[in-house]
Amino acid sequence: MQAGSDAFRTSRRSGELPFRLVTAAGALIVVATLVAITLALLGRTSVLWTFVDPWTFLTTGGWNEVESPTGEITASYGALPMLWGTLVTSIIGIIVAAPVGIAAAIYLVEIAPKRLATILTFLVEVVAAIPSVVVGLWALGELSPRLRDSIEWWIASTLGRVVPWLSEDATNPANSSVFRAGIVLAIMVTPLVSALSREVIRSVPQSLREGLVGMGATKWETIRLVILPTARAGLISAVILAFGRAIGETVAVVLVIGGGATLIPPTLFQPGSTLAAQIAISYGEAGTVGKGALAGLGLVLLGLTLTLSTIARLMLARYNRQGRG
Amino acid sequence: MTNEKAKISIKASATKGRSAEQARTGAASNSMAMKLLNVEAMYGTFRAVNNVTLDIEAKSVTAFIGPSGCGKTTLLRTLNRMHETLPGATVKGSIQVGGADLYDPSVDPVRVRRSVGMVFQKPNPFPAMSIAENVSSGLRLSGTKSKSDVADIVEESLRKAALWDEVKDKLKEPGVSLSGGQQQRLCIARTIAVEPEIVLMDEPCSALDPLATLKIEELIGELKTRFTIVIVTHNMQQAARVSDTTAFFNMGADRGGYLVEAGPTSKIFTNPSNKLTEDYIAGRFG
Amino acid sequence: MATAPRAQSELRFALSESDRRRMRVNRRMLRVIQLATFVAVLPVFLILISILAKGLGTLDFAFLTNNPLDEPVGIANAIKGSLAMTGIALLISAPIGIAGAIYLNEYASTSVQRIGDTVVDILLGVPSIVAGLFIYLLFVPILGFNGYAGALALSVLMTPVVMRTTQEVLRLVPAGLREASLALGVPLWRTTIFVTCRTALSGILTGLVLALSRGIGETAPLLLTAQGSNDAVIDLGAPLSSMTMVIYNNTISSDPVKFAQAWTCALVLFAIALTLNVLVRFRTINSRVL
Repeated sequence: MQAGSDAFRTSRRSGELPFRLVTAAGALIVVATLVAITLALLGRTSVLWTFVDPWTFLTTGGWNEVESPTGEITASYGALPMLWGTLVTSIIGIIVAAPVGIAAAIYLVEIAPKRLATILTFLVEVVAAIPSVVVGLWALGELSPRLRDSIEWWIASTLGRVVPWLSEDATNPANSSVFRAGIVLAIMVTPLVSALSREVIRSVPQSLREGLVGMGATKWETIRLVILPTARAGLISAVILAFGRAIGETVAVVLVIGGGATLIPPTLFQPGSTLAAQIAISYGEAGTVGKGALAGLGLVLLGLTLTLSTIARLMLARYNRQGRG
Repeated sequence: MTNEKAKISIKASATKGRSAEQARTGAASNSMAMKLLNVEAMYGTFRAVNNVTLDIEAKSVTAFIGPSGCGKTTLLRTLNRMHETLPGATVKGSIQVGGADLYDPSVDPVRVRRSVGMVFQKPNPFPAMSIAENVSSGLRLSGTKSKSDVADIVEESLRKAALWDEVKDKLKEPGVSLSGGQQQRLCIARTIAVEPEIVLMDEPCSALDPLATLKIEELIGELKTRFTIVIVTHNMQQAARVSDTTAFFNMGADRGGYLVEAGPTSKIFTNPSNKLTEDYIAGRFG
Repeated sequence: MATAPRAQSELRFALSESDRRRMRVNRRMLRVIQLATFVAVLPVFLILISILAKGLGTLDFAFLTNNPLDEPVGIANAIKGSLAMTGIALLISAPIGIAGAIYLNEYASTSVQRIGDTVVDILLGVPSIVAGLFIYLLFVPILGFNGYAGALALSVLMTPVVMRTTQEVLRLVPAGLREASLALGVPLWRTTIFVTCRTALSGILTGLVLALSRGIGETAPLLLTAQGSNDAVIDLGAPLSSMTMVIYNNTISSDPVKFAQAWTCALVLFAIALTLNVLVRFRTINSRVL
């Protein structure tokens, strides 16, 4: 047994600092990547602003660039049709996915017997595992024509008589449409809504449920009076997150929405474009200014996702903070 | 069984006799394993432990007793510099082992903890390791000893922890496959494998059933011939059974803990000098 | 005697009209919820049936081992390309993601942790096309389309997945284990590697599989970086084929033969993606990450 201060002085701390530096580097690289993406996009759009100012970019359509023989470039790029397309398709998607996903979550957590719930949960999640290009292939080959001939035709021939935006040329219905892209998004995003909602609903304290059942309430009444109101903030956060995911979906949308429309389609059942799809379609022929326009689209997309993700986090924080009894 | 018990009680009374004598004659410092001088422990600005001056005798068992929240565990954790691993936690004063101050700025806390080991309240064997690997983990992770030495030390430590016979045929089984009491003895074996001078125990039996508790208490009686043991316990009777010296702590008006009285166990429990001590022992509070 | 109490209890607990109405409403709403769940699950079956029906026909050994310019056409180069790019992306993402997660969880202060969590959240939500666009703008005009750029774009998407899952499993390691190791006199860095990470190892590996399953199913980032090629030789410095690109290119082509091959390639890709995903499910990693 040693004695004396020297006993405690010797040590091999040599490994501590390098380890800390290496791990900090990892974290730093990740942060730097986000910064780099933002900066790269911002930087690339600079060439765009010499031709189009940001406000015009966001509020008009048109997508062309002409280089005259003398090397002079005239360009006009407008992101409005893509912005419109992104919002409309995602809204359609979420209008369908939110109730279906939340209802499925309620069923799986509150109603279904355990074994059935496990199987069904797995099945719902499998859609999320399908690569988006495969969903797109199926959507193009199977879903799109069927939707066109059934639901689109039905809506156009009923509501479409009154609302021109929902009408279509019955003799020549389009091969791609904004509506169908919306439905594809709905299918892709439902598992996410369901998964997030399941977590939220599961975290509602058992004591609240028991209180209501003890009063003689039916299952539906328990859901309506206690579970949904309590979970509301969390469910909203789930829906917003899913909306954010829908906004960024590229390939499945591209295959179903058309070849890059540069104007806002006059009806719902005609081809259109989204921010993500447009990037995928026009990156190939992009000139110098064109690349700037793509970066502009990317910036808008990034900004939208960032905002939605922040709102969703705030709502989730609010849900976690609220007293749940 | 009775022979062992007899051996232990003889050893115990022999040590008790020694410490009582030393208390009377003013002990020579080389029989003191640890000297605490004006030790204070803080969480930020809150003083959890007030000004403690105390001597811990070598190769004996010292018990910290007192009501909950009076800083016993916090003080214990300053003895192996674990307290400061919590954010905002600081220690003042000096703690000396063999004349060396643990809190000297040149001292590396990592090194301290190899000389002052700790057994925790809830047994915490490493789940990703086998029984043998658990016992040798302290050795291997500090990078000392060769392979053959390790195997010998594992067996020796398990024997000293009274666990060898029960696990010698399943050394490769995961550490978490043992019962609670066995897991705690495994943790003890793991702690003594690195050969510390002092072993700290933070309520080591509170998560165990009475039979396992009894085994650990017997083990403590055997271990004190080789190690200095400081044990925090909220169980007064355990302190009376197991320790040679007892230190009684209480919570002050500022909600910080302070040392009320310390002395030979027999004296504290039968004839304490401080009225508060007497009240606590009699169960009038706490 | 047996009937009297029964009649008594029927009387005592008889249902009123409003009770009956409530129960009717209950039944109806539960049926609606069940229907919604059915709708949620329906696409799985439809897609699965289509893939099998349309893809199985052309699937044979030659399809998996031949190249696009051989006769009959195959996707061997695409399979190799996918594996190569996803593999390299994992080699990049794994160390960075795990190291970053270790730093945030074991060393960083609370405020730094919060910043790190926000950054990872944002990166997880970055649309894959933006990741592709980022790498495209940085490298393609100068170096042309190539496989390395593709791998980089994939790693931008895969690193946050690794980081988030590693963080979550590290958080699950009980503090008592770290304390026990520290109390033995083991320095913090060795504690982190040999105790904390070792305990969390299976979770960390699952995170890697999750990242892999994300990477192998991506199209958009590869569209802008590696494009595709018909070359039988795998050259990472040049445009590189991948399964997702093959499906995409074949789908937009007007050749029905190619379209049929898209289905077959989709079948192969889906089988791989499903296997990886099932591996992950059996460890129940939080699906919020994907």
